Amino acid sequence: MSDLIFVAASFVFFIVAVVYIRGCQSLKGGRNDA
Amino acid sequence: MTSNGWLQIGVFFALVLLAAKPMGLYMAQVYERKRTWLDPVLGPVERLLYRLTGVDAKAEMHWTEYGGAMLIFSLATMLLTYAVERLQHAIPLWNPQHWPAVEPYLAWNTAVSFTTNTNWQSYVPEQTMSYLTQMFGLATHNFWSAAVGMALAVAFIRGIARHESKTLGNFWVDLTRGTLWVLAPLCVVYALALVSQGVIQNFKPYDTATLVEKQNVTTTGTDGKPVTSVVTTQTIGQGPVASQEAIKMLGTNGGSFFNTNSAHPFENPTPLSNLMQMFSIFLIPAGFCVTLGRMVNSPKHGWAVFAAMSVLWFAGVLTCYWAEAQPNPLLKGVDQHVAQMGTAQQSGGNMEGKEVRFGVANSALFATVTTDASCGAVNSMHDSFMPLGGMIPLVNIHLGEIIFGGVGAGMYGMLIFVILTVFIAGLMVGRTPEYLGKKVEAFDVQMSMLYFLIFPVVILGFAAVSVLAPFGLSSLSNHGPHGLSQILYAYTSAAGNNGSAFAGLNANTHWYNSTLGITMLAGRFLMIVPMLAVAGNLATKKIAPPSLGTFPVTSPLFAVLLVGVIVIVGALTFFPALSLGPILEHLLLRVGTSFQ
Repeated sequence: MSDLIFVAASFVFFIVAVVYIRGCQSLKGGRNDA
Repeated sequence: MTSNGWLQIGVFFALVLLAAKPMGLYMAQVYERKRTWLDPVLGPVERLLYRLTGVDAKAEMHWTEYGGAMLIFSLATMLLTYAVERLQHAIPLWNPQHWPAVEPYLAWNTAVSFTTNTNWQSYVPEQTMSYLTQMFGLATHNFWSAAVGMALAVAFIRGIARHESKTLGNFWVDLTRGTLWVLAPLCVVYALALVSQGVIQNFKPYDTATLVEKQNVTTTGTDGKPVTSVVTTQTIGQGPVASQEAIKMLGTNGGSFFNTNSAHPFENPTPLSNLMQMFSIFLIPAGFCVTLGRMVNSPKHGWAVFAAMSVLWFAGVLTCYWAEAQPNPLLKGVDQHVAQMGTAQQSGGNMEGKEVRFGVANSALFATVTTDASCGAVNSMHDSFMPLGGMIPLVNIHLGEIIFGGVGAGMYGMLIFVILTVFIAGLMVGRTPEYLGKKVEAFDVQMSMLYFLIFPVVILGFAAVSVLAPFGLSSLSNHGPHGLSQILYAYTSAAGNNGSAFAGLNANTHWYNSTLGITMLAGRFLMIVPMLAVAGNLATKKIAPPSLGTFPVTSPLFAVLLVGVIVIVGALTFFPALSLGPILEHLLLRVGTSFQ
């Protein structure tokens, strides 16, 4: 059971990191400061 | 402090200075995919790897793709290591001590730790990990996590060097070339050099030696009462140490084969092996300054960054060496046998927690170097340093480990500071900030600030909970300000992906294993993403010719300003916590107060 929790937690963290990438990219996309 | 000590410190820095240029130019050749003398051997291996994995080596990646590939690789290798740890008892290979499966909390913490190049170890390696786990689960990660950091630094440098480009290179190619051309060949030579000094490399079961004198050892029994037993034998750990030791230092990993790390005579037997280990921590990070200069076509900029790093390194080693060379005021006059002055028989100063083979100077230098970089290997116990001496490793990590820093991670961390410095310089003269001909704009500064803010949030947040909750306090070996330093050091080391321990905290608890794991992940990946965003944005910009208002990033003034920004950011962020920890402990020690 603990194994499943840790594997799932790892996936969740990396999914959050991917969402975080998209968030940073969208912050750039929303501004015209280049 | 002695002239002999300073001479050794001087020799160390001279070696780093001499090696930086050839190392940096070689890495520039490797990452720019120019011809090197290793191509006839490694070229076919590289092509075979791409063919087997289906990698298109000519494909370029946007920063989001580069970051995504890095995340996928890290997740896959992390889960692989977790599986190896959990299944080591079931794999009938290289487990002569028959160690059982690693407990889930610890296995996850360790898998995260080695994936993030932290190499924090909440366990005694020689009593927990099989040889297979040490080699296949941990040593391989030492290569991978280092190569990932180097790839990311190169991606950032390309972001500066390129103009009007949407891409930063190919993660898989950078990862492969960093491993094959830089880390692997260096480690082969280095491991053999370590063996020549006495570092062991074998697959033998552990040896048992009969003690010359029987020892009475008192431990606490299950009923809480003291139990005294007679010990007549000693178990001496064995294993494939040299091969792990080489990448442990070169990759600024720091995760040791034995619990006492580089204080163990099988890991670090001689003063020469000690010098080699410290040198190898700085070799690649120092080389990256030259790589930066070459790839952005401004060698002087690379040397300006090198100069700023050198100043901060010297300030750290000077303070740490001075603090450790002082006698402990609590021991003055207590006992005539506690002589703390330097004599022909001893080096003097605070020798608690230090190897007599290395003495005060090499212990202070090692502690400074290992925390300037994100290595985390230790040859002395930082917990036993004087309060101000122990504060230096802590401050080095607080500054972001950009004083040469981890392989790759130090360079990209320093470049974020450069962006901030250029921005502040621009504000001071009232001109649009420019960095090597590129305008630094709102998005770059926003991402840079995000990079800076994540670091203290995870450190101070978890440390605050730990000093309030019983499950945090129960792990302490000391109370008062020293206890705060222990907790602060643990989260600082984890967030900075350093991995060294203050050595007074029992971190093998559910609370610390899980929260330190989260801290390591946040300190690695949540900081990499905004860094890559800055790199990707810089790559898209046009390059403007320098004007009278351009702040030169090749001058001594730039180096001074860069040092100032680094110190101010670090001081403003962590000074309150430091004042309640090591600084308060130092002041109390001077009036005769210590804490059990």
